[in-house]
Amino acid sequence: MEMVLDLDGDRPRDDEIMAQHYAIRAEEAGKISFLGNKEPLSTLAAEYELGNSIFKTKIEKLGEIYGAIRRTRGDGNCFFRAFMFSYLENLLETKNNLEAARVKDSVEKCKQTLLDLGHAEFTFEDFLASFTEQLDAVQDVTLSVDKLVDNCRDQAISDSVVMFFRFITSGEIRKRADFFEPFIFGTSGMAVQQFCRTSVEPMGEESDHVHITALSDALGVPIRIVYLDSSVGDGGKTVEVNFHDFIPSELSQEKVKPPVMLLYRPGHYDILYEK
Amino acid sequence: MSFDGGVQPNPRGQQGNPAIDASSKQSTPMSNPVETHSVARRLQSELMALMTCGDPGVSAFPEGDNIFSWIGTIKGSAGTVYDGLSYKLSLRFPTEYPFKSPTVKFDTPCFHPNVDQYGNICLDILQDKWSSAYDVRTILLSIQSLLGEPNNDSPLNSYAAALWVNQEEYRKVMLKQYRDASGVNAR
Repeated sequence: MEMVLDLDGDRPRDDEIMAQHYAIRAEEAGKISFLGNKEPLSTLAAEYELGNSIFKTKIEKLGEIYGAIRRTRGDGNCFFRAFMFSYLENLLETKNNLEAARVKDSVEKCKQTLLDLGHAEFTFEDFLASFTEQLDAVQDVTLSVDKLVDNCRDQAISDSVVMFFRFITSGEIRKRADFFEPFIFGTSGMAVQQFCRTSVEPMGEESDHVHITALSDALGVPIRIVYLDSSVGDGGKTVEVNFHDFIPSELSQEKVKPPVMLLYRPGHYDILYEK
Repeated sequence: MSFDGGVQPNPRGQQGNPAIDASSKQSTPMSNPVETHSVARRLQSELMALMTCGDPGVSAFPEGDNIFSWIGTIKGSAGTVYDGLSYKLSLRFPTEYPFKSPTVKFDTPCFHPNVDQYGNICLDILQDKWSSAYDVRTILLSIQSLLGEPNNDSPLNSYAAALWVNQEEYRKVMLKQYRDASGVNAR
């Protein structure tokens, strides 16, 4: 790659460095599909065969509850794409038309939030339609798991839905800025608006607790995140797999099992399946 | 070519219009011609919105009959050194818009820390922080606020950046360049 130099210096500009960084990441990400096939959990164990014993122990424990994993592309959109597939697949398999109707109501509320925040409808209507078309297809029984896999691998559909989730995540955060502000400032030092502008709305920006909480609340969908990292509890004596259930406030009094279960490894989310 | 992509250009009150709902379903981008069509439709909506609720100080319109190429105008905000000046910009939209940002450049030469001699603009939302949440209006408003609030840490024009602290002198140099350029580049 030829380096383009700026006029008054001999060092590449920051935006050129960033462009290169993104190009490298895109190239790496391009090596795997947006969404992989369902694989037995043993493939995860194989990855760590020569690695850290804490991971091996944790994967064994993981195997007591979860039986399979579906990988997503590590392009910074993995949380949103994993959520898209996992949620819709769960709707399909449970044939839960009531839930499909309920989430459509949530989508309408999200739309109103975005309008109230001053977004022109044309900026998000196509993305919104991409998501509701999947919900329609669930309700009309015209969607199969195979077709859903195809849709999640189709860049036009998949990126549209991801962008819709980014929109409503940003909308939820800004609507409840007072609630989110301490978390955002605490981890990033940014103001709410700036965080949404630079870390939520652009494609490829990675997600953390703030994004997950906001999306879960915006759509009213509980999300479980299972953490696979090298942390150990009780001064190193116990090795447990930690998880956290993000439960939307209207469901907080109930005992709910999240329909979406994701495996988090630092910087990346894949989909988990219970046995 | 007309700008009408087969849909009534009605950015407001579209909700519940069955004709539009149906067309937005068909326009789920699956292949290139459809995609181009939906981008044209999106740009058409943007144009209507800009024309109906124009913000003071920014405007834009397609150049000739190509909906993918626009000319925008920004007026310098009151209370900034650019007060009273008007700048033309070109906006070129890729077929992946709004997933990819448009290429935006100053046509009118602009003396500014974050604008180079060719009119290229260094603004994060046009580069790595681009998001599909932006539209022509918000892009132009962002550039308008960049005029009055430059990012002097990573300048394209280091002379302008160095001069910025002295606003009186800055305006003098900037006005001279503005007048020279409009004289030479009168169209």
